[in-house]
Amino acid sequence: MALLEVSGIDVFYGRVQAVRGASLTVDAGEVVALIGSNGAGKTTTLRTISGLLHPAGGKITFNGKDITRTEPQNIVHLGICQSPEGRRLFARMSVLDNLRMGAYTRKNAVEIKRDMERVFELFPRLKERSNQIAGTLSGGEQQMCAMGRALMAKPKLLMLDEPSLGLAPILVETIFNIVREINAQGTPVLLVEQNAHKALEVAHRGYVLETGVIVQTGTGKELLESEEVQRAYLGM
Amino acid sequence: MIGALARMPSTLRTFGGSQVSNLVGLLIVAGALALTLQHVLQHSASFFFQILIIGIADGTIYGLIALGYTMVYGIIELINFAHGDVFTLGGYFSLALFPIFGIAEGKAGFGYVIPLLVVAAITMLLCGVVNVAIERVAYRPLRHAPRLAPLITAIGMSSILEGAMYLWRGPNSLHYPDLLPLTRFNIGPVNIGVKDLIVITFALVLVVVFTLFINLSKLGKAMRATAQDRDAAQLMGIDINRTISATFFIGAALAGAGGITWGLYISSVDPFLGFITGLIAFTAAVFGGIGNIPGAALGGLLIGLIRAFSDSYFDSSWTEVLIFGILIATLVFRPTGLLGMRVPEK
Repeated sequence: MALLEVSGIDVFYGRVQAVRGASLTVDAGEVVALIGSNGAGKTTTLRTISGLLHPAGGKITFNGKDITRTEPQNIVHLGICQSPEGRRLFARMSVLDNLRMGAYTRKNAVEIKRDMERVFELFPRLKERSNQIAGTLSGGEQQMCAMGRALMAKPKLLMLDEPSLGLAPILVETIFNIVREINAQGTPVLLVEQNAHKALEVAHRGYVLETGVIVQTGTGKELLESEEVQRAYLGM
Repeated sequence: MIGALARMPSTLRTFGGSQVSNLVGLLIVAGALALTLQHVLQHSASFFFQILIIGIADGTIYGLIALGYTMVYGIIELINFAHGDVFTLGGYFSLALFPIFGIAEGKAGFGYVIPLLVVAAITMLLCGVVNVAIERVAYRPLRHAPRLAPLITAIGMSSILEGAMYLWRGPNSLHYPDLLPLTRFNIGPVNIGVKDLIVITFALVLVVVFTLFINLSKLGKAMRATAQDRDAAQLMGIDINRTISATFFIGAALAGAGGITWGLYISSVDPFLGFITGLIAFTAAVFGGIGNIPGAALGGLLIGLIRAFSDSYFDSSWTEVLIFGILIATLVFRPTGLLGMRVPEK
């Protein structure tokens, strides 16, 4: 049984349907990429898994538990944490407070401190900036802070929405290396990206979303080599 | 050189925009201060200090009320017009509780300290419960409605509370027992009443405790997080409905404490007290920077001082004109208020 199982969800914004019968799974230990162009429904899918939106049809289970109608805060308690599109940091709080907010659902101060150290190892930059107000960080630093904040929840599944968006190429490289590292340390990752090439390089498996429908799936390598994906998303 | 030239137009633009309105604002403030100073010099120093103390006492009470406006605005961007009436309710609840705890006028003494604090605690609790209920019934169902809808319900809730107090104790203003000592003493030219000191200390302690709570406690941080980005707060596992309820509860508890303090200081309450007091406190919140907590405390203090000085040195019939003039001037010249800050967008 897969860790996360999304089966046939339909999601609407008012009367507009953004996701049509999408199904996907994430297994323990995997990095799964969800690629597609702007407006394909990638973010909507993540927001639905996080419980910010509820699907009109279909079912989502996590660790065998039905979470289709579960409230967002309870989904975090179950172990799914998301670093949302646009980072969405608490702009007037310090980096340290942002990271602490990530651990909001946790009680054990010793473990929280240990994970804070781990985040600082992954992102040494955040340690230097720990007392800076998050809204004044550079784009790359904000992305690191958002990912660090999500990690502070000690998620059983980490979802990253467009972690490379708007970053300089060298930082994009860093971010994807860190995704690999987080996964190597044992956290499964569901990655939403417009940078299909990078995402598929990192991912074990991938899904291609087009106007709310999953049109293709396969291993990262298969998708990288697929003609349609190359034509539509890799500019070849 | 070229770089400096390229920067020129933007420098000019800044000057043409906010600088000029800042200048106008400064001129107005400077003019008002000069006029006040001229009046102050015509009276004795002891009169000045007496007014100063009244201003500080009133100001800390306005600050207590303004905190509730600013917190609720910060978290759901709603001006809770019923908030001023929750403040009045604090006066009414405590009046009803006094006989139960054997508190009556004329027997004031140290024996009253504990019962008075108990009454204050119960009143704050009751006001909190009322405000949470208001949010649950009147605002939460409208959370995704256009902004104007909850604003109108808020005005409706305000009328309902005023009506309820009117039905409960009638339309007339009620005498609030004089429970605080009336002793006065002099420090140099300053004549202070023990009552003034108690009122100021009580309100200040609440403001300080509250500020510490918001900055240090987990719930306080959850409130700030929810105010800054509701979706992100949910993604951190914060139950935003509970957090919003807590915000209404705490804001109302402070307003309730303000109601008691007002009663003890001014010695009367009436069903419509919260209407004008609420608007003045709201002005204080906007003046300090709506959504900004230290701003509300500062705005309250300044508005209290302005009111006291205007009442005594000019003419009390102009005070409200002055205060609401400040409201308009703030909204026109500096919508973010005194301490409101522009934060880089995410």
